[in-house]
Formats: sequence, structure tokens, C-alpha cells
Amino acid sequence: MIFLSNVYNALEQLVTHRMRSLLTILAIVIAVTATITVVSVVQGFTRYVSNFLEGLGTNAVFVAPQRPAGDAGKSLGRVELNEEDFHAIESQCSALRRVSPWIPCQDVKLRYGRDQITCSVEGVAPSYHTVRNFPVDAGRPFAVMDVERAQQVCVLGREILRKLELDEDVVGGNLLIDGRRFRIIGVLASKGNFFGHSLDDVVLIPYTTALKMYPVFRRHLIVAAQAVSAEAVPEAKAQITNLLRRRHNLAAHQPDDFIVQTQGEILAAFNNVGAVAVSVLAGIVGISLLVGGIGIMNVMLVSVTERTREIGLRKAVGARRRDILLQFLTEAMTLSLLGGGLGIALGYALSTLASLHPHMVDVVVPTWAVLLGFGISAGTGVVFGIVPAVKAALLNPIDALRHE
Amino acid sequence: MKAGTPLLQLQGITKEYQMGTEIVRALRGVDLAIHENEMVAIMGSSGSGKSTLLNILGLLDVPTAGQYWLDGQNVARLSQSALARVRGRRIGFVFQTFELLPRQTAVRNVELPLIYSGTAHRRQLAIEALERVGLADRMKHRPNQMSGGQRQRVAIARALVQRPAILLADEPTGNLDSRTSEEILDLFENLYREGQTIVIVTHEPDIAQRCRRIVCLRDGQVESDEDCGAARPDPGVLMRGGQAP
Ligand SMILES: Nc1ncnc2c1ncn2[C@@H]1O[C@H](COP(=O)(O)OP(=O)(O)OP(=O)(O)O)[C@@H](O)[C@H]1O
Ligand SMILES: [Mg+2]
Repeated sequence: MIFLSNVYNALEQLVTHRMRSLLTILAIVIAVTATITVVSVVQGFTRYVSNFLEGLGTNAVFVAPQRPAGDAGKSLGRVELNEEDFHAIESQCSALRRVSPWIPCQDVKLRYGRDQITCSVEGVAPSYHTVRNFPVDAGRPFAVMDVERAQQVCVLGREILRKLELDEDVVGGNLLIDGRRFRIIGVLASKGNFFGHSLDDVVLIPYTTALKMYPVFRRHLIVAAQAVSAEAVPEAKAQITNLLRRRHNLAAHQPDDFIVQTQGEILAAFNNVGAVAVSVLAGIVGISLLVGGIGIMNVMLVSVTERTREIGLRKAVGARRRDILLQFLTEAMTLSLLGGGLGIALGYALSTLASLHPHMVDVVVPTWAVLLGFGISAGTGVVFGIVPAVKAALLNPIDALRHE
Repeated sequence: MKAGTPLLQLQGITKEYQMGTEIVRALRGVDLAIHENEMVAIMGSSGSGKSTLLNILGLLDVPTAGQYWLDGQNVARLSQSALARVRGRRIGFVFQTFELLPRQTAVRNVELPLIYSGTAHRRQLAIEALERVGLADRMKHRPNQMSGGQRQRVAIARALVQRPAILLADEPTGNLDSRTSEEILDLFENLYREGQTIVIVTHEPDIAQRCRRIVCLRDGQVESDEDCGAARPDPGVLMRGGQAP
């Protein structure tokens, strides 16, 4: 009963001092809005990235030559990853199921009939279709023969077809890649895009053919592999590292002259971005809550002073200290929860707005973020409302009634 | 003096205020006993300690020294929340300045003590209390929509709603004109006749005349304490039907 009466009184105060209340809760509104929006966007972003990384292939591991930073790097001789390394990885790493070179050549001229476009051409092995989860859905995928004989055959991504205004009938036709004639043997299934960048804007050719055309890559292969299982990924990484260190004659004190990256590590790197966003958020929220809390404390102290006689009267008609304490705490909580409620509504609105952007994906406000928003606003109300409430509760009835 | 245990009894009550280096003695050893169904006026010149005494009686203030028994219980032994309980249930206080909550209707103002005592049927009891003070038709009015006399009636209804053992009023007509004061006094007299114990602090002799007992304070001490129902048979008082029971 007292609770209902407290809520009634709190709402009455709120309505009476509309402007004052609104200004007081502004900082809390900002804090909760920021929480809801950033959490939702970061979550959407993370989900998006992990979907994309799933698309990289299941349990994928990438190996690339890389000169280590600093003096250690300078002391090394030539840094390279060549075809022999690739074959060694393919044949000796038991934790890997499939291995393919991956030679990404940028800005390659493609000519079909009279149309010419620039795109990226990637030299790969047949296993690449599986490693990268990039199957062919028209025509045929690469065969072992294509690689062994360094055939001039290619598989086109959907975006290439779109750019050249072609359809699947193009399979069997020919086009020119940097002036050489290639036969089109298949079309890749669409992978969609990633932050506005199409993943289908690619032409695949056998890696042997690519090495012939662009010999500079002979020493700079990238290897894409698939571990036998998710649990085998760390083992695969260790096997590759040991193998390459041995092959490259690296002494114990020398750093790796290559980098082995797993899908999980790439995801972790993206998650780092999320973590940075979350810590920035924590900063904004922390400061806003402090400002909001002090605002509430201030307004409640004013309210207690203004209503000292009322407090005296309430005590004269039987209010205990705890009744007065709860009355003013309820008032502070009503303010802060109103701020929280407005913040949640605003956060919803902003998240919805964000998801309307073409490069944003399903931004969903998670329930826990809403609860968190309520939690932090209620917490602020309690923490900063307690001092004025205690002050009111401890007033001595006659002093309060005599207050001018 | 009446027989039986008094409803409230004061013994050697003093109240001192420290004002810088000086000590102000508002009460200097007051002995007083008030029995059930008495109507007592407390008089005395300004600054004689009337309000101080009434606030101590109402448990709003604590004496510096002395004993106070209410219902046979030494109030010095009561905890804060027990004091609040007694203030809410046993004592009804009426102030010179009414002290109504300005934004709440008459009936909600009257309900206030019932909220703190957790009583059921609050609305019903509040309406009954307002009917007792003749304000049944002003229940939904806010204080600023009522006359001074009506406001004081609401305040009296609030003091009565718990059916307190004793009604304490500190210059209840101090802010009212003489005709309205007269009506409020009639109301107090009716309550007294229904059995309500009442203590009224007042400056005005004609108000005191209508009480059955007048306690006069002077410099914080009881100067005189007369039972005027018997000692001073005032025809006016008798005509209004006011014998001491
Ligand atoms: N809070 C206080 N601090 C210091 N002195 C006080 C305080 N309250 C009352 N006094 C002093 O105590 C004395 C008695 O005050 P009290 O209010 O009881 O007088 P009163 O008889 O009610 O007077 P009035 O008829 O003017 O209302 C006065 O001298 C007053 O100055
Ligand atoms: Mg006084």
C-alpha cells in the first residue's frame, strides 16, 4: 500500500516538475541509449563477420610468407613460401584434410568479346572449392588435370557475369585474361557481399597457370587449408609451423618468417574491434551515469529541502524513518527508470535506423541489453538517491515542521 | 483531580535550547496529568512555552529532562519506529498552519495517517472523518480550493481519522477570523462531548473559557491549573451544555 502511495507521490512530483525532471534524466537517457545502440550494432557486426568467416570455409587455416617486424626480421635472408613448401604441407601435415595454394592477382584485365573489365584473378587448386566453401553451380569445378597441365581454363564468379551482362550459357565460351585465351568451364555459386564488397567479383584459374603468367608469386604463395576438425585446428597450426621452420632452417632464436592464421584468430581480430567499441561505450556510459546520478542526487536534495515541512507532517501522522526513506528512494528511482525507459526507446529507434543502412545487417536489440539498460538506470537511482533519502528520513519531526 | 491512571502524565519536564553561549529554558519543570475525556486549554503569554509543551506531548519533540508517560508507558523507552506508531495511532495533531499536502485532495490528505498504519478501507474511513467535521461535500477539493476554516476542518479530520486517544491542537484558530474560529470551537466541543480527549493551545480567553480546564504557563512553568467547569461556573459554558462529565 505504501509502495503504491510512494509511486503515486513520485509521479505527482514528476508531473509537477516536468522540466526539471526531464533535464535531470537527460544524461541517463544518453547512457542507456548508447548502451542499447552500441551493443546492438556491435552484435550485428560480430554476427555478420562470423557469418562471413564461416563462408571462408570450415576450420580454415591460412599460411603466408611474412617478414617479422624489427631487427629480427632484417637479419633473415629471403622470406619466401614456394611450391615445395606447399607440397610439403599438403603431404606431411596429418591434421589437414585439404590444402590449396591461393594466388590472388589484383587488377587483371579481362576481355570478353568487346567488353573489357578489371578484376581479381585467383590461382587455386581443385581442393579450393571445398576449402573455401566456394562450389560451382553451373558447368564443372577444376579437375586435377587442369592443374597438372596448367590448362588455360577458368571459373567465373557471379559478379563477373553481372558486369559482363552474361548468363550461365557462357560456360564453354572463351575470354581473354591479360591477353591469353581461357576457356570458361564453370560458374561459382554466389557468396554475397561483405561490407559492400562483392565476394563474387573473382575469376579462378589453376594455380600452375597463374604461376606461369605471374612468376613473381613463385616465392610468395599463400596456402589455404582445411583442418580435419575444429579441434584439430591448433594441432594443424603447430604442424605447419614446425614443418616450415624446419624447411626454412630457422634457428630456435629466430622468429617465424611466415604467418599461420586460423579462422578463429581472424574472428578474434574482428572481435577486438567490437571490444574497442564496447570499451568506448563503457566510457560514455560511465561518465553519463555519473553526471546523471549527480543530477538526480542534486534534484532530490532540492526536493527534500523544499518539502521539509511535508516530511515533518508525514512523520507527525505516523511515518517511520523507513517510510520516508522509501518515499524518496522511490522518487529517485522513478526519475532514473524514466530515463532508462526513454533511453531504451531511443536505443531501439537508433538501432532500427542503423539497420536501414544498406551495408548494415540485421541489427537486433538483445533482451539482455534492455535488461542491462533498466539495471544501470535503476542502480543509478538507488546509488545517488540514497543520500537525499537518508537525509530526509533522519529529519527530526519538529525541526522539519518548523522549517521555513 | 480525577481518579484513575491519567492518559498522559508529565513529571519535571524541562526543555532547553542552546543558543550560542546562552541556554534558553523553554520549559522549567512542568508537572501535568491529563485524564481521558478532558478538554484542556493551555494558555500563557507568547514565549511561555506552550508550543514546546504541546510538541513534547505529541512526541514531535523530546524533553531535555523529565518523565513522560503515555497510556502508562514511559515514552523515553520507545524506539524511533514505536514513536512513529504512537504518533500515528494514539495522537492527532492539529497545527495553526494546517499543514495539508497542497497537491492532494481533501480525502487523500485525510487518508495519509491510514497509509502509514497500513489500515484497510482507507477511503471509507477518510470519508467518515470528513463527514464528522461537516465536509462531506468537499472531498475532492484541493487545499487551495477551500477556505481557511474548511482547510482546518480537513486537518482536524486527518487528526481524527485514526480515532486517537488524544487530540492536540496548537492555536487551531490562530489563522482564522472570529466567526470561523467559533465554528471550529463548536466542532471541538462536539468531539469532546462524544468522548474525545482534547488539548488546545490558545491565546484567546474566550476560547479557553469553553474548555473545562485551563492550564496557564508562565516562563516555562505551570502558573495555574484550574478546573473551571466546577470552579468557575460560567453560565455561557453551562448553557452550551458543557458540564464536566
Ligand atoms: N528551536 C528553538 N531554538 C531555540 N529556542 C527556542 C526554540 N523553540 C522555542 N524556543 C524558545 O522557547 C521559548 C518557548 O517557545 P514556544 O514556541 O513554546 O512559545 P509559545 O508559548 O508557543 O509562544 P507563542 O504563543 O508565541 O506561540 C521561547 O522563548 C522560544 O524563543
Ligand atoms: Mg506557540
